[in-house]
Amino acid sequence: MKEYSVINTRVPRVDGRAKATGKARYADDLSMPDMLYGALLQSPVAHARIRKIDTSKAKKLPGVKDVVTAQEAGAVKFGVSPARYDETIFCIDKARYVGDEIAAVAAVDLETALEAAALIEVEYEELPVVLDPFEAIKEGAPVIHEDFPNNIGAEVHQEFGDVEEALKTCDLVRTDKFVNKKQDGAFLEPQACLAFYDPGRGLTLYSSTQAPHYVQRTLAMVLGLPIGKVRVAQPCVGGGFGPKASASTLELTTSLMAIRTGRPVKMAFTREQVFWHSRARHQFFHELTTGVKKDGTLVALKNTCYLDGGAYSSFGIATVYYAGSLLGAPYRLPNMKYDGYRIYTNKPANGAQRGHGGVAARAAWEQQLDIIAADLGMDPIEFRLKNIMQRGDITCNDFNMSSLGMKECLEAVRSGSGWDKKKGKLPRGKGIGVACGFFVSGAGFPIYRSETFHSTAVIKLSEDGGTVNLYTPAAEIGQGSDTVLTQIAAEALGVRYGDVKVSSGDTDFGVDLGAYSSRQTLMSGHAVKQAAEEARRQVLEVLSEQLNIPVEEMDIKDGLVLFKKEGVDFSALRTRYIKEHRGWTDPPSGKHFTFVEAARLAYLARGTIVGTGAYKPGELGGKYKGAAVGTSPAYGCSAQVVEVTVDMETGQVTVDKMTDAHDCGFAINRTNVEGQMQGSLSMGLGEALFEEVKFDGGGRVANPTLGEYRIPTCLDMPNVETIIIESNEPNGPFGAKEVGEGAIMPTIPAILNAVYDATGVRINELPVTSERVFDRLKEEKERRKEV
Amino acid sequence: MHLLPKFDYYEPRDIGEACKLLSQLKGSARIIAGGTDLLVNMKKGLLAPRSLVGIGKIPGISEIEPVNGGISIGAHLIIQKLVEFDLIRKKLSVLSRAASVLGSPLVRNRATIGGNIVNARPAADLPPPLIAMGARVRLKSRRQEREVPLDRFFRGPGETVIKPGEILTHIVIDALPPFTGGDYIKLMHRRSLEIAIVAVASRITLDGPDGVIRDGRIILSSVAPKAIRAVRAEKALIGERPSEGLFEHAGQIAATECTPIDDIRGGAGYRCSMVGVLTKRTLSGALREAKGQ
Amino acid sequence: MKKLITLIVNKRAFEVAVEPNRTLAQVLREDLGFLGTKVGCGIGDCGACTVVVDGRPVNSCLVLAVQVNGSEITTIEGVSEGAELHPVQEAFVEYGAIQCGFCTSGMILSAKTLLDRNSNPSEPEIRAALSGNLCRCTGYQKIVEAVHAAAGMMKK
Repeated sequence: MKEYSVINTRVPRVDGRAKATGKARYADDLSMPDMLYGALLQSPVAHARIRKIDTSKAKKLPGVKDVVTAQEAGAVKFGVSPARYDETIFCIDKARYVGDEIAAVAAVDLETALEAAALIEVEYEELPVVLDPFEAIKEGAPVIHEDFPNNIGAEVHQEFGDVEEALKTCDLVRTDKFVNKKQDGAFLEPQACLAFYDPGRGLTLYSSTQAPHYVQRTLAMVLGLPIGKVRVAQPCVGGGFGPKASASTLELTTSLMAIRTGRPVKMAFTREQVFWHSRARHQFFHELTTGVKKDGTLVALKNTCYLDGGAYSSFGIATVYYAGSLLGAPYRLPNMKYDGYRIYTNKPANGAQRGHGGVAARAAWEQQLDIIAADLGMDPIEFRLKNIMQRGDITCNDFNMSSLGMKECLEAVRSGSGWDKKKGKLPRGKGIGVACGFFVSGAGFPIYRSETFHSTAVIKLSEDGGTVNLYTPAAEIGQGSDTVLTQIAAEALGVRYGDVKVSSGDTDFGVDLGAYSSRQTLMSGHAVKQAAEEARRQVLEVLSEQLNIPVEEMDIKDGLVLFKKEGVDFSALRTRYIKEHRGWTDPPSGKHFTFVEAARLAYLARGTIVGTGAYKPGELGGKYKGAAVGTSPAYGCSAQVVEVTVDMETGQVTVDKMTDAHDCGFAINRTNVEGQMQGSLSMGLGEALFEEVKFDGGGRVANPTLGEYRIPTCLDMPNVETIIIESNEPNGPFGAKEVGEGAIMPTIPAILNAVYDATGVRINELPVTSERVFDRLKEEKERRKEV
Repeated sequence: MHLLPKFDYYEPRDIGEACKLLSQLKGSARIIAGGTDLLVNMKKGLLAPRSLVGIGKIPGISEIEPVNGGISIGAHLIIQKLVEFDLIRKKLSVLSRAASVLGSPLVRNRATIGGNIVNARPAADLPPPLIAMGARVRLKSRRQEREVPLDRFFRGPGETVIKPGEILTHIVIDALPPFTGGDYIKLMHRRSLEIAIVAVASRITLDGPDGVIRDGRIILSSVAPKAIRAVRAEKALIGERPSEGLFEHAGQIAATECTPIDDIRGGAGYRCSMVGVLTKRTLSGALREAKGQ
Repeated sequence: MKKLITLIVNKRAFEVAVEPNRTLAQVLREDLGFLGTKVGCGIGDCGACTVVVDGRPVNSCLVLAVQVNGSEITTIEGVSEGAELHPVQEAFVEYGAIQCGFCTSGMILSAKTLLDRNSNPSEPEIRAALSGNLCRCTGYQKIVEAVHAAAGMMKK
């Protein structure tokens, strides 16, 4: 393998120091002179016709500068998928969930804004509420959106091969049901944004978003501004995990009031509002039927899924597709049928969260595969290996596994965990489980139909030659894209890590679709690499002209120009450079010509050196309806082994140890890859054991706090033996592909399989609370008594 | 961010001034100690007192002192000190253990033992071990001072026998007889930042190193409007030689003595079952300690 | 009515007139500009707003500023001075203990206070000390490794 200087290392994050010293600024830390504070009025009822809104008292309150309702905000619909734009800034006719936005206020301080919001009088005519998706599709159920009288907002029907015929040929067929619970992103930073407007320069919005580009487009469309007059930029973002990937009423309203008042406006969610806004993982109800041959060959899968969508579509169109398309692989499966239904209910809208659409499906299936392996008398790892896909395999739904270290991952966790010594040999109450998973490395298509590039990048060498400025519109949300893209730029250009200065997350820098679907390392990485290579080429061209050496006989590495032939005399160029910098204290010396010198000379010859890059995927497979959801230039994959202790009297599950192997193609930053893996497992552990957004009968979130919505603490999350597998993805920059989301896929089923190994009971409903395990153990005991 | 409602703030310099203030302000004032419960309730809009009386600057109510072989604990002592102080760890390890699982380290550095008692939450961590060890609370008002056994202090959720104008100043635990041990187990979803699903504190006093049980207490938490004693289960212990079988039996009785509800943290049926398990386990722990193991 | 109080923040005394209903987190952020203190929940569930008051890390969202009149407070800005990082900060950067960074200020302050009291903590002791500070990004492992490493660095 090629020797690299900057990539495949453990360089520290570019923003680490600022974050460690408290200097990093997040949206709610920003302020501007004359700034107003915003507050929202949100519906207290889950379903109601809005009869009347009276804002007169609010407007009269001293300090109030603007009050807006649907009357001021207009009726332009927006959302995520253009096919299902079903939101407006504020409720027009109806409120559809507790938290639906009715009005907003901007005032001189937050106290006044909140007080004014409370003074707005709304007359609600309460309508029947439907919270359960199965109730919602019954005849006569309350209708949430008039265009969808049966409350089914989206449905998907796909079949690859012939599942019914294939099942007839199977030796073993089993059907299982599985249900997870509605999640919350539970990122530590609640959403916040600050907008200001200048009639000449247009609107600027600083927002805690994962996708500045989509926010920019939505703001322009809904507020009726030319897109060139809308700039969306990110300050530091305190995590996202999916829910921050679409434009929100918070961003739209803040912008609207900034335009109307001519003053900067800042608005932030409370933690409770984060729960109301939601847009996190759906609740999925899966029924899976899988058929196999006696020898363990997988033959067919039938998957039916109902999704509780909540009141609006958000990312849900993609979600309902992903809940089908992310099964099958990483196993060879010739026949697959999927029927998915996303149903509107009077609850906060569900959207995307790490492992978008596939996490519950994966949990359901990997647990079922474990049962099947046991029924066949096969070791779960052997069973999986028998069906495993390899590089170059194409799934029945046309996903091309252009690289796939799945087998390597499984073998790594098998030996890393000591599986062979433990499986089947642990005492009651101790268990070990395994599971696999895969995920896209970037969606193959943008959310709106377009031939747009998915990522662009600009590299501008500073005119003195000393600094490489990288401008990337990619979104740093904590996952480390600034660091990875800096490394890619440095490596591709041949400079040191510290020579590159990255600026990111700003629509002024170009187009990047943002931090979702695990796309940035591959897609933004490609664009950055290309931009760096182009800048490098220009520098070398100038050198070539001046030294009379062909470009191919030169290289740049570690900030030095390397000549293939010995004895190149560059002293004249060095003298020229030094003359340029008379009085400076750092004249270049030594036997190597430096990149700084070369870049300065390139500037002198050509003016500012700028390299640009742009990436979009090549032609991808799949011509069927919905093929756009799941096709990707590359697929990451992983395997995990989890060891648990179950308290057989209380039912309490303790995860003792996790072993995780993930194929990220090629690790640009090894520390970051491990961080993504460990973070994914932690989120998976939370979803498996604790997390559930609960509702009361009126549709109010019953636990909108981080006390009662439980993400793991450091006492709940064990250490992970973290194994990086590198399969060298041909479609990735330097062979890299995703790690951010795929790593969560096996976590829940590996825990479920370990719990079964420990207790002999299967849990088909998340979370695996001590009470649920206790109840299942009791049921099982009683069942045995009857037998 | 949740904003706090407006209120007046007073900071008396001694108990006398505090009592005077409270009686002047009548029912409109609340005492603020650590504030970790009160401020949450105020931010959630559940409480909006017109005045807060901060007792942090009052001398003499933040100490732990040995008294006649027993211990006196100032109400304003932060809970983390119950975890740290040798005196408590050695003489009242059950209290130390309960303190160590309350909230989080950050909460324990602010919350006070008095606050955990007077707020009278059904799932509060400190009352069960304190009741098990026979603690009394000292209440002071302008005119009088009285002591109330902690197991007669609570009336129900948020309600105690404390009268308007009274301040809880100290918690007093008398010297424990020899061969006494205690244990506290809190069943939680996570291992930190939790309110109990069920918690049980038990205490056993033997009449000798290998003797019979002379005194036994079982306090159940989070399964009734207040921490309750499993009286019948306690009776079943007295005069008996300790054994796993006996503790199992006591657990089964205790499970019938609680009246839990279904709530966001757990179901009533599960809670009853867990009372049985935790009673058995805490009795075993208490026995180990009573025997000095 | 506003009360005049003195807060000694990062060894510097500040006199501020505050309404009694303002929390320490608000006063630090809004009145004094210590924006490194983050507010993640406002009710003590997450630890993002951790600051050290008189040697003990607390949730500054659940402390009234008037309650800590005269107290010594350390915020993340006071952990190190100038270009030099405190070993805990250095280790957090080096070991990948930081992702989104929103928990980092509080996490570092909890970790630093632990190491000030216990120069050689075990892994369970480190985990216990950090158990009031939630992190959604890292899975905690690299944070724990960083605290171990910082302990080693501080001994040298």
